[in-house]
Amino acid sequence: MVLFGQFLEILIGGLLSGVLYSLVALGFVLIFKASGVFNFAQGAMVLLAGLALVRSLDLLVANGFPFWTAIILGLVFAGIIMAVTAWLVERFVLGPLVNQDGLTLFMSTIGATFVLEGASQMIFGSDVYPLRLFPTDAWFLFESSFPGGILVNKLDVWGGLIAGILVAGLAIFFQRTKTGRALRAVADDHAAAQSVGIPISWIWFVVWLVAGLVALVAATVWGTKLGVQFSITFLALKALPVLIIGGFTSIPGAIVGGLIVGAGEKLAEGFLGPHIGGGIEYWFAYVLALAVLLVRPQGLFGERIIERI
Amino acid sequence: MSAGGPLNTFPKLLRRNASQFGSHAAIRHKDLGIWQTWTWAQVLEIVRAYAAGLQRLGLKQGDTIAIVGSNRPKLYWTVMAAQMVRAIPVPVYSDAVADELSYVLGHADVKFVAAQDQEQVDKVLSVQERVPHLQKIIYDEHRGMRDYDHARLVKIDDVIADGRAALAGDSSLAAKLDALIDAGEGADTSIILYTSGTTGASKGVMLSAERCIEAATDTAKFDKLTENDVALAYLPLAWVGDHYLNYAQGIVAGFCMACPEGPQTVEQDLREIGPTFYFAPPRVFETMLTRLMIRMEDAAAVKRSMFHYFLAIARRHGEAILTGKPVPLSGRLLYAIGSLLVYEPLKNVLGLSRVRVAYTAGEAIGPDLFVFFRSIGLNLKQLYGQTEAFLYVTCQPDGEIFADTVGPPAPHVDIRIAESGEVQFKSPGMFVQYFRDEAKTAETLTPDGYVKTGDAGFFDEKTGHLKIIDRAKDVGRLKDGTMFAPKYLENRLKFYPNIKEAVTFGDGRDFVSAMINIDPTAVSNWAERNNVAYGSYQELASHPQVYEMVARDIAEMNASLAQEKVMAGAQVRRFLILHKELDADDGELTRTLKVRRGFVADRYAALLSAFYNGSKEADISTEVTFEDGRKGRMSARLKIHDLPTTQVASGLEKAA
Amino acid sequence: MRSPDVQEVLLSVEGVSLAFGGVKALTGVSFDVRKGEIRAIIGPNGAGKTSMLNVINGFYHPNQGSITFKGQTRARMRPFEASRGGIARTFQNVALFKGMSALDNIMAGRTLKMRYGLFWQALRFGPAQREEVEHRHRVEEIIDFLEIQAIRKVPVARLPYGLQKRVELGRALAMEPDLLLLDEPMAGMNLEEKEDMSRFIIEVNDHYGTTIALIEHDMGVVMDLSNRVVVLDHGVKIADGTPDQVKRDQAVIDAYLGVAH
Repeated sequence: MVLFGQFLEILIGGLLSGVLYSLVALGFVLIFKASGVFNFAQGAMVLLAGLALVRSLDLLVANGFPFWTAIILGLVFAGIIMAVTAWLVERFVLGPLVNQDGLTLFMSTIGATFVLEGASQMIFGSDVYPLRLFPTDAWFLFESSFPGGILVNKLDVWGGLIAGILVAGLAIFFQRTKTGRALRAVADDHAAAQSVGIPISWIWFVVWLVAGLVALVAATVWGTKLGVQFSITFLALKALPVLIIGGFTSIPGAIVGGLIVGAGEKLAEGFLGPHIGGGIEYWFAYVLALAVLLVRPQGLFGERIIERI
Repeated sequence: MSAGGPLNTFPKLLRRNASQFGSHAAIRHKDLGIWQTWTWAQVLEIVRAYAAGLQRLGLKQGDTIAIVGSNRPKLYWTVMAAQMVRAIPVPVYSDAVADELSYVLGHADVKFVAAQDQEQVDKVLSVQERVPHLQKIIYDEHRGMRDYDHARLVKIDDVIADGRAALAGDSSLAAKLDALIDAGEGADTSIILYTSGTTGASKGVMLSAERCIEAATDTAKFDKLTENDVALAYLPLAWVGDHYLNYAQGIVAGFCMACPEGPQTVEQDLREIGPTFYFAPPRVFETMLTRLMIRMEDAAAVKRSMFHYFLAIARRHGEAILTGKPVPLSGRLLYAIGSLLVYEPLKNVLGLSRVRVAYTAGEAIGPDLFVFFRSIGLNLKQLYGQTEAFLYVTCQPDGEIFADTVGPPAPHVDIRIAESGEVQFKSPGMFVQYFRDEAKTAETLTPDGYVKTGDAGFFDEKTGHLKIIDRAKDVGRLKDGTMFAPKYLENRLKFYPNIKEAVTFGDGRDFVSAMINIDPTAVSNWAERNNVAYGSYQELASHPQVYEMVARDIAEMNASLAQEKVMAGAQVRRFLILHKELDADDGELTRTLKVRRGFVADRYAALLSAFYNGSKEADISTEVTFEDGRKGRMSARLKIHDLPTTQVASGLEKAA
Repeated sequence: MRSPDVQEVLLSVEGVSLAFGGVKALTGVSFDVRKGEIRAIIGPNGAGKTSMLNVINGFYHPNQGSITFKGQTRARMRPFEASRGGIARTFQNVALFKGMSALDNIMAGRTLKMRYGLFWQALRFGPAQREEVEHRHRVEEIIDFLEIQAIRKVPVARLPYGLQKRVELGRALAMEPDLLLLDEPMAGMNLEEKEDMSRFIIEVNDHYGTTIALIEHDMGVVMDLSNRVVVLDHGVKIADGTPDQVKRDQAVIDAYLGVAH
């Protein structure tokens, strides 16, 4: 019973922290689906969004704004920053590269990463800034059935809730709207999309804006958890195995991939760690991703790649 | 319902349906991606208007009107409207080439033709000189018809609108129309169906209204068909099967007939409609199974093993569960899980989820194929029939199903086996005579009023069901006297997935030889999986590995033939794979896709003689007809493959 | 030979030159397209046909010269503005949205005709729902017209080439264009597919009254199809006239023979 309780606790904790990985992975999937570009800058965008939020929040609170008003204003400000970023990226990075192939665009996002990282730290500072948006204490559940109960982090639960709402919203946006259809069209073929009257620059702006807003959401949760700091950009590296497992083109894939990675690494750490030494958490996800690559290169939910020559 | 009297014509039944099932769907059709529905009340109104319109165009009692096209509501309404004015509808196969069309139109001496679209109108126009009494061509689809001479062409919609206006303007006209319906007699010729002509020119089978209705009533009762059933009308309109199963039974039972969007969309339409009553020739079931199996080959390992596991369960218990026989609880449980995970999803993919009664006929069905569909819970049964019987001669009742019989006589059908082995019958729906062909009529009817089917068969002692071996005239003998039933051999060959069609020869010869058509779907799939490169059907057909594969199949059949006393001597010794698919357009198959063996023998005489003079290969050059009617030549050098024969354990026995 | 009823000029190209770096793709090309006609632009490989189409369509901007469409002369125009103005096109190597079904591809052609915003669409409610149904109806007519009912829901990447070309034509038709540009509509097709495509092109012109400008590499195909033909060679117009005139033109004969050397 003790073991089962422990298992359950680790599993729940793992799943919930997996949701947080999913949040970051979602941004990648969005841009990849809509433009065929693997956006290396997603991690930098989370950092930028987080910094914009936390710094404006601090400033507003210091100037005597009530906390909730400050939060709303801070979110609006960060949203505007992300919109400006999206516009800049479209105007100066992607716009001139219409009709170029995916690799070129990928390289350009690496460039954008450095610019974004540099610029955001230059403008907003490079310390660790604590963010307190969500409660960080924990619940203890089922204390009657398990000794000590099962520990569940409230922040993780919030993260799960937010991710759920986000996914539902995105799914509706992609599947049911004219803009969603236009996004998919642009991802498939730039020239063809232009020929039916889809303004590519506008669509790319929308995509990067949405990805920026997703980054902002991710930043609120991760910022609360770790504090807003440069190392948040490394999240992009954790999102990679999530994407490989879930598939680069699938929104549900990003969620499930995140859950698998989260639960997998926590369980591995908890149960294998004592036997083969700790630190499994840091590499387990990559091993898992490698295994998936071998068996199912398109990921669990990815579209099968059909090429007709 | 002013007049009492018997419901012995289709217009009378249509009137009954409109008052009894008025708001029930009578006919559906997918048009511009949406299923349109007409209720019985609406159909009656349309058909009355149409009939009035046709009368105004000059269609009179006893006139013939041809209907050329695929399954479209307006063409079915043409049949109904013609019957309403006591004229005689004559449906013609929509893929008939100009010669066939002109023969039928001329022989039936039609005054009117209802054609589906530009393509059919063009065909009719191209043969109009040979149809001296042709007055008007009416057509359904307007597309591409703008630049035509419209003196003789009328749109069906316009005919209906004209009739509707006339009925509205003159109330006495409606009364006259009702009087005409009331005056309809059971002995009226309801329809003339031209047989597809396996032998010689096609014959016009005349069917009377009361006999049609009587037969359809019997079988609708036999299968408990009601106004709540739905059928997909996708079989050729001019074929007795469609006219009987969908049109006649539909009107008699009041069920809904759904017309597919087009010939290419039948599969999808089947899924969308989910019919409760379904007929398909064995070929269609075979294609379904082949496609399923191919999809399973590509599926993930877990899925595949689940599929095979539950199919094994189904083979063990499916038939018993379907027929309500006792099954152990564990079997029942496993079958229920299988239903949930495999059988129902499969049936759903195929569009067969709601099917209550399914029939197959026309050719022998492979036992494996038959058992497969029954085991996953499809109530598939066999029937045996003919145009001359207005379809049903025998059919299998629920619970008495065998893969190798066609069932006991259908209700009120009287069957006897003649001295020669030929099956003869009297049935409620039997035809009156061949149209304008007394000689043929006399040839087909026995003096005591039985119809000769031309098929050889016998009643199975164990089951009491009829078994059909072959066409009576096709059963021959090898030189040494061994019985040679070509169809029997060909059917067994065709049960192998790689073989699509086989034609065997042996009558009066030393041994049996076979020409094979490979199945392009199965074989090309095999080629893809084994990295066998090929550029065309011809290349694939002549590939040595394909030859070997087919040789293995035939050797296997030979081995099993060796177990049968009568057939052991008829093992296939030599075969070749034809360089082209046998095609109805080239006359090698009938319109119902049966092989015309005599024609094939003539056309490929060079190959046939090579079989028996020991050649290892043979050249052949034949004329082929392309889809657009142009002709070209196709030549090839074909290899002939020799096969070892399996010796019978107890020495070679010969049939008497 | 078919003759258009109206002589009104829909598109006129005047003195268009286009160069990529030092390479001249087009040099002073002028011609016009009349309302309701089928106009062919032919020429050997590398004659600048596709460049010409890309200029009309707004993918390229001419270095010199002007394009007048529906009476409006414009210098620089972006592709989506061209489509807004009523120009639709197909591509030489089929540019479809590969991940989408044939139906969705053709629906994408309706993008410009849709007016209601994100909010209503997301809810599938009210005017947006009516609009969607209305567009679907138009698209279904096109599907019916092109006889592709059976492949409606099939992802286009799985379709054979000939059908992909047909879907692409359908997508262009869905835009209800005033001018339809076809870039080698018959390229890579077998005889039967070519005949089908010719029939569709004539029917589009006939049925919808759409003006068509098409590029072909193969001279034979366009002769029965088009009202007038422009011949380009090395970026220069060498002939312009009815198919018969062009066929007899010495410069054209030389250009085509010259390809072989």
